[in-house]
Amino acid sequence: MSVKRDFAVGLFVWAALLTMPFWMPAIGGYTGLATRVVVMGLGAMALNLLLGYTGALSFGHATFFGLGAYGAAMTIRYLVPSTPLALLAGIAVAAAAGAAIGAMIVRRRGVYFAMSTIAFGQIFYFVAFRWSSVTGGDDGLTGWTRAPLSLGPLTLDIRGSETAFYYFALALFAAGVGAMAWILSTPFGRTLVAIRENERRARFLGLSIERHLWLSFVISSTLMGLAGGLYALLNNFVDPRTLRYDQSGEFVIMAVMGGMRSFWGPLLGAFIFVVVQDVVSSHTENWMSVIGLVFILVVLFFPRGLLGLLGRRAPA
Amino acid sequence: MIQLVLFGVFNGLIVGAFYALMAIGLSLILNLSGVINFAHGGFLALGGYLAYSLAPTIGFWGALLIAPLITAAIGLLVERLLVRPLYGRDPLYSLLLTFGLAFIFQDGLRTIWGAQSVPFSPPAAMMSPLSAQLFFLTGYRLFMMALVAIAVGGLFYVLGWTRLGLRIRAGTRDLETLSTLGVDVRVLRNLNFGLGIYLAGLAGVLAAGQLGLSPTMGDGLIMPSFVSIIVGGLGSLVGTLLGGLLIGVASGLAAVFFPSAQEAVIYVMMVAVLLARPRGLLGEEGRVH
Amino acid sequence: MSLLDVEDVTKAFGRLVAVGGVTLRVEPGELRAIIGPNGAGKTTFFNLVSGFFPPSSGTIRFDGRDVGALGPAARVRLGIARTFQITEVFPELDVAENLRVAAESAAGLAFSLGRGAARRAGMDGEVDRLLATAGLADRRNRQVGELSHGDQRAVEIAMALALKPKLLMLDEPTAGMGDQETHDVARLIRRLHRDEGLTIVLIEHDMRVVFNLAQRIMVLAEGKTLAEGTPDEIAGNETVQAAYLGESA
Repeated sequence: MSVKRDFAVGLFVWAALLTMPFWMPAIGGYTGLATRVVVMGLGAMALNLLLGYTGALSFGHATFFGLGAYGAAMTIRYLVPSTPLALLAGIAVAAAAGAAIGAMIVRRRGVYFAMSTIAFGQIFYFVAFRWSSVTGGDDGLTGWTRAPLSLGPLTLDIRGSETAFYYFALALFAAGVGAMAWILSTPFGRTLVAIRENERRARFLGLSIERHLWLSFVISSTLMGLAGGLYALLNNFVDPRTLRYDQSGEFVIMAVMGGMRSFWGPLLGAFIFVVVQDVVSSHTENWMSVIGLVFILVVLFFPRGLLGLLGRRAPA
Repeated sequence: MIQLVLFGVFNGLIVGAFYALMAIGLSLILNLSGVINFAHGGFLALGGYLAYSLAPTIGFWGALLIAPLITAAIGLLVERLLVRPLYGRDPLYSLLLTFGLAFIFQDGLRTIWGAQSVPFSPPAAMMSPLSAQLFFLTGYRLFMMALVAIAVGGLFYVLGWTRLGLRIRAGTRDLETLSTLGVDVRVLRNLNFGLGIYLAGLAGVLAAGQLGLSPTMGDGLIMPSFVSIIVGGLGSLVGTLLGGLLIGVASGLAAVFFPSAQEAVIYVMMVAVLLARPRGLLGEEGRVH
Repeated sequence: MSLLDVEDVTKAFGRLVAVGGVTLRVEPGELRAIIGPNGAGKTTFFNLVSGFFPPSSGTIRFDGRDVGALGPAARVRLGIARTFQITEVFPELDVAENLRVAAESAAGLAFSLGRGAARRAGMDGEVDRLLATAGLADRRNRQVGELSHGDQRAVEIAMALALKPKLLMLDEPTAGMGDQETHDVARLIRRLHRDEGLTIVLIEHDMRVVFNLAQRIMVLAEGKTLAEGTPDEIAGNETVQAAYLGESA
């Protein structure tokens, strides 16, 4: 039953994603907004590998998102105008930071883990903020654009065509999400879920909890770096806000709102959050209050998330 | 040179006193209720703005007395209505809730008092330097340090010698046992939350006189407060106090000699402390988690 | 050589001495029970042997090695598996998944990022075998959190078995169970001991279970060994009757 249902849900999700540039205008959106949904969705799902599947409360994941974004942007701005190399650089920077920070905090739990992730993230925020000669400081890094993609003789104009860039981003989303689905289906992925379910039991099964947590943290950071790189390319711009803790909080609320115990939940959460943010911020000065209210309402009334309401179990 | 160092250290102590005051309030709430109060900076700013609005009517001293109390009362209400339903649930939820609250605070303050920062001045007599050599020493700054010292001292007195304080400390160690002894844990958590928010409000009024008022003023203080707690060691209020002063001085010195690193130095210190001593300066053994 | 050789081990929490100088030798193939009133230090003793925390003093040797400084995971790899007084399982996973996690851990696959290795290591067959041993074959796809208390306990014991232990430690395996469930779990323990030749140490309050199963019994009271011997010797021991059996009867 559940296999059939997973298959049907997956089919629906992919159909919706493949056609999003076409139906997005019907709900008042545009192609760039669709790309934003996909990119933020990848970020929220990457966070959820840690949050929902491993049960570790990272509240500082914008760090890796922002590092991916800066890594990509600075590669193009200063080194080489290549989109693939930019993304690879962003991913590498995020992964390295994830490995270093992860190693320092895997022994902490719960709120203390959360607090440490937030605090570590601030280091990079202030570096980006203050080192303006290189990062552009508070104004952000401009003066660069994503480069067209050349595939042998073919050139895909992801610079000129928003639609082409959407499908480029979707392809990388698919790769990232596919990797996550694969990981969750392996013994390693099952072990992560077990650690979430009962750390003490897991430890007394001979599992090395800290190493699992660390690896999960690194994988999650790496995918976050991919999302961040795509985000920089989408905007042809990056600024310190991508690194800030508000951005971390937004990823968490996306995952929670959609349902962190379901594979696709965070994507649904990202879709709603991104669209609502876009609509609200163009209609009222007080969009921060609206977003704040969304946080509070989700916590008080939908703690299990929208997909959690359906009572489905996560595929593990 | 010596003068510059003194300047840096003194400025650092002032900032550190704010960090510590805020961090101790955060710590109180964290230790007893397991809640990271992200809205703490919002409460701080609220305290400052309330003082700003009250001062024309009741004067600076009246505002200094009343504004933190009103802030604390609002804190009691927020705890009762929004935070209390989340006790016993995954800490994720209280974190998200107070995060959302912080957004609303910031937006609300901007809507009521405007996005531009507004000046808030303590009595003019307190603002002139005490000596030309030590130009940074004003009466207000000394007064501020003294008041923070009194507030912290008062808090430790409350925790050490009053029934409420004893219960808070006992509850931090073992809440279940305390509730079987007939103590109403919900009331205790409520009062404790209010106590923490009172300190934030007080810090807000003092900070307003020193740094000026803006809706985002709490933002700049909350992260260093987290770091104070981590550096000082989880579970230890004295550690939090030390942590706050220490990173304050570090950032004060950096501001003089290496201004672009004045924020980052705080986090570098945190990393250094965590690497050398994972449980922080005075953290309890086995309380790494 | 004894499989487990605990020598004069002490555990103090501040001024509270939970275990004060206990010595215990368990031979291969033995089924040993530890009894004693509440607060006697039985679970603390289990925690010491399984590596929950290190002893304050004394030595713990297992299979000829000093394991006192090792953490729980390392002791599991040497062959010590345990269950807990309050059943510890993975409630949102189904029965087969619970056992699979344990089996894959034992097979060294916990970091495997492929599906092939688990297949080659025969994990499917291993899970089936464990399900059959614990009598859970018909519940393999049920979520463990929804099972009866007795079935959850069986899952927990099967997970411990998946680790292919040399020593199985059961902390009150029949706690909170009705007669039928108690009977079923006791039968499972006897089978594991007799048919699979497992060495078992268990803490138990139900005296019928203890005197039915155990070959030797150690009685703890206030952190110290009160008596030690065969069930008959313990039943006839007046100190034990005074301190423990009399009280609970």
